[in-house]
Amino acid sequence: MSAPNLLFAGLVLVFSVLAVAFGIVPATQATLNGFAAGAYLGLGALGLTVVLGVLKLVNFAQGDLLVAGVYFTILFGWLGLPLPLAMLVAMLATGVLALITEKLVWKPLRRAGASHIQLFLSAIGLALVLRFSIQFVAGSQVRTLGANIVSSVTLGPLRFGTLQAAALATGLLAMVLVGLGLRFTNIGKEMRAFADNRALAEVSGIDTARIIDYTWFASGFLAALAGILYATSIGSFNPNFGVTLLLSLFAATMLGGIGNAYGALIGGLVIGLSQEWSTLLFNARWKPAVGFVLLILILLLMPQGIFGKALRRS
Amino acid sequence: MSIDFWINVAVLAGIYGIFALGLQLNAGFTGLLNFGQAGFMAIGAYTVGLLVVNFGWSLWLALIAGIVLAVVAAVAVGISSLRLRADHFAIATIAFGEIVRYVLQNAQFSGGNQGVLGFDQEWRVFTDWLLGKLAIIGLDRYTQLPLFIVVWIVFAVMLIAISALQRTPWGRVLRGIREDEDATAALGKDIFAYKLQSLALSAALAAIAGFFVALNVSYLYPSVFDPTFTFFGYAIIVLGGYASYAGVAIGSLIFWALLEGTRLMDTALSAGQQASLRFVIVGLFLILLSRWRPQGILGNHEEMRVRS
Amino acid sequence: MGVTRWAAVSALALAAAVGAMGAQAQASDLTIGALLESTGPLSELGPTAEKAITIAVKVAGQAAKDAGLSSNVTLAAADSQGDPQAALSAARTLVDKGASCIVGPTTTPEAIAVLNGITMQRKITLWPNATSTRLRTVNDDHTIYRTVPADDLQAKALVVAIEKHIGKGKTVALAYRNEPYGEAMAKSFTQNWEAEGGKVTGNIAFDPQQAAFDSEAGQLVDGNPDAFVVIDYPETYAKFGAALARTGKFDSKKLFVPDAMSFANVPENIPAESIEGAYGVAAGSPQGTGAMNLFNKLWDEAGGVANSSLTANTFDAGILCFLASVQAKSTEPGAIRDKVRSVTQEGAPQFTIENLKDAVAAAASGKPIDYVGVSGAFRFQDNGDPSSSLYDVFQYQGGKRVTIEQVDVK
Repeated sequence: MSAPNLLFAGLVLVFSVLAVAFGIVPATQATLNGFAAGAYLGLGALGLTVVLGVLKLVNFAQGDLLVAGVYFTILFGWLGLPLPLAMLVAMLATGVLALITEKLVWKPLRRAGASHIQLFLSAIGLALVLRFSIQFVAGSQVRTLGANIVSSVTLGPLRFGTLQAAALATGLLAMVLVGLGLRFTNIGKEMRAFADNRALAEVSGIDTARIIDYTWFASGFLAALAGILYATSIGSFNPNFGVTLLLSLFAATMLGGIGNAYGALIGGLVIGLSQEWSTLLFNARWKPAVGFVLLILILLLMPQGIFGKALRRS
Repeated sequence: MSIDFWINVAVLAGIYGIFALGLQLNAGFTGLLNFGQAGFMAIGAYTVGLLVVNFGWSLWLALIAGIVLAVVAAVAVGISSLRLRADHFAIATIAFGEIVRYVLQNAQFSGGNQGVLGFDQEWRVFTDWLLGKLAIIGLDRYTQLPLFIVVWIVFAVMLIAISALQRTPWGRVLRGIREDEDATAALGKDIFAYKLQSLALSAALAAIAGFFVALNVSYLYPSVFDPTFTFFGYAIIVLGGYASYAGVAIGSLIFWALLEGTRLMDTALSAGQQASLRFVIVGLFLILLSRWRPQGILGNHEEMRVRS
Repeated sequence: MGVTRWAAVSALALAAAVGAMGAQAQASDLTIGALLESTGPLSELGPTAEKAITIAVKVAGQAAKDAGLSSNVTLAAADSQGDPQAALSAARTLVDKGASCIVGPTTTPEAIAVLNGITMQRKITLWPNATSTRLRTVNDDHTIYRTVPADDLQAKALVVAIEKHIGKGKTVALAYRNEPYGEAMAKSFTQNWEAEGGKVTGNIAFDPQQAAFDSEAGQLVDGNPDAFVVIDYPETYAKFGAALARTGKFDSKKLFVPDAMSFANVPENIPAESIEGAYGVAAGSPQGTGAMNLFNKLWDEAGGVANSSLTANTFDAGILCFLASVQAKSTEPGAIRDKVRSVTQEGAPQFTIENLKDAVAAAASGKPIDYVGVSGAFRFQDNGDPSSSLYDVFQYQGGKRVTIEQVDVK
């Protein structure tokens, strides 16, 4: 049985057990909540997995790109753009910001043949610079994007937040678009070729600099999309929200298999589901730890992730 | 500016120097990306605190128990995760550290959110005795001086010992593992056992650092063992020099001087902005450091290769 | 190598030079220190606390000037990062900058680390916003004073309020933020409510930074409890409160909150569905609300962040430190410590910030006074906790806090 089928069967099994033990309604409600929580994580992991897959870079600053997207939205809204337009411009701006980090930080490091540790330290440094530059300007007080966060859709005894549903739908759409883009567009194909074997891609005449630029822009754009959806539907945030999500985003990426768009979202959903399901079993205080336990289990039992392929050692 | 402030910086530099010695052994000399160091530190510190407070153990005996328990945890982590790829191992150990922190925050035995308090009586007795001696040379008004002295003596001893260990055949095998794992295995060395020993020794150092953190803060609380401190540890080893034990001491001093010294900036900015600026400076420093002097102050560029 | 050495040396030199710039205040000037959550997990709380203490320092300086004192009042702030170790370092910075007293920090672990590490041995009064009863039991050499009521008194006031508006012996569903404040307060409430024959369900601890709260909210409303108690800060309640409203089974008129959720106007990020009609308790003032109105006016005039909870307590701590210093005619920490009680003495002439100039004049004459704070009157017990038994029970009506009665808890 392939890993995705195995996973799906496992999820169905867990759900059935929970439904028998706690009743169908609580189990289904927890599942819906899991989809909502997982949508943010999966969407956030999308941008992370692209950079990790194509550039083999563990970008610890990704969480803060989510934050940048949200605060760009506030900035453009303040400058007078209507909110949906401000969000779109913010996503583009965050894409450009990610591109700037490539030009200023990552490209020079790559050229110098930087080691893992150097890249890692730069990412930590960059994360601090981004987060605290935002806080310097905007302050650490909580802000809101002003959406109606209490509206919900009722399905019999079940409830699902309207914005959470929108986040999930957007996540699925973004996943499909990124997945299709990687598969069928020229730039997507080139990205995958580059990810598989950089030297070979270069020899076969692919403009690698362009690939890298596109990758960063896409990563920033997707990060902003995830950040904006999260901030809109959670309702209240400050510049710290990115760093608190970061490790969960990594977990989602690893779980799904590095560099796989479908994997990132599915990984996020699996984490969301296990966290919310766990609230049926234990006190909710253990919820944040569940994701990490799951991550370790997946690494030990399924080191390639759900959708990952065996990576060659570089 | 006061001497007290800089004694505090030196204390922190000493504590996190001991902590980073372990990371240097793992990452710098074995090629093992251990990101769970804060977790081992927490295990050491909490073992000490809980044994003293709940079971009336002597502080010093509890320290030994803390080291033993951290080593046991390292062996468990190692046996399960050492066969993973380097970057997967790094993520697995971060997850381990976070699980430790969440357990300490949420479990009953660890005092949960209320932490552990009142384990440092014996230390205070010792401090008073040492301050009494220091009074002879008129230094007794610097109340953190005893901790400073003890931490740096321990740090120096550990540094010398681990440097000596590095020059033994054992140390050379570790280096071999970092350089070329397959070739070292072909020589008939049990790679796994060596890696496990490296990780266990590192955890022991983390536990000792945790002991001193506990004495410094006088209060055990989960957030003191945040993964950020592991990241700081890596900043220290890169700053001082990759694969250089002496570099750890220099790196730690500079890092903490920067991190704490930036508190003393006197600007017209609001407190919130000044606090933000402080971390922007630290962040920029990390970026510039890895760009301009990747091998660190005492490091050698040839040592930088870590296989993945 | 040369470049690096140069870089390393200049980094050290920079740090040292930056250090040398601290501590320049005049000897007779009072420096009030503040430990603020400017970064870290509680950084939502930093900006409002900073504004509160900044206003306090300004008001104190003005009153000193109006009363004809020559000394000035200045503020030294440091970032405690929500972490005991960082708080201790931050406190050392404040001592370096000549702080005579320290307002803050926010949590009990930070407060205890700072107390043991530096303030107790220097007799520096510490004014934490932490409410844990644990602070009462530590050996503090009378240096800890709190303008926030400790958990046990507040919990009693909550119990009285719930019994009044819902009934005795009912079932209360409890949720709290999973950190020192939330957990200690929840424990204290549970003890008091169960002692009165009530039942507590839920007992849900949530991480205020997590990505979703719907499961927790669903568990809280499950079983249709008679009342809800949620222990949170307004900054993060927006998230949990919205999830409560989304369950469709939550009635905000059955919600009771402690004083960390007491604010004059409901912040814009909290949806009305999760707060309108909710009851809460906060330390009451025998002087009425004149001081509170003036404080709110000062807050609005200062611009910047909107008002939130516990700002008045932070403000009062700063004013008390200032008045004690005036009365002691000294900025020496120990002298200030010894005068805190004689500026909050029961039976002495009462003053508020409305006539702070007169309070300064009276305090300077050396006679005991009774400063009645914006957050209420202070009757410090031997352990530095307020023993005031007077509590306001308020309700949020139309997005505003309306005091509906005062209760006396003993």
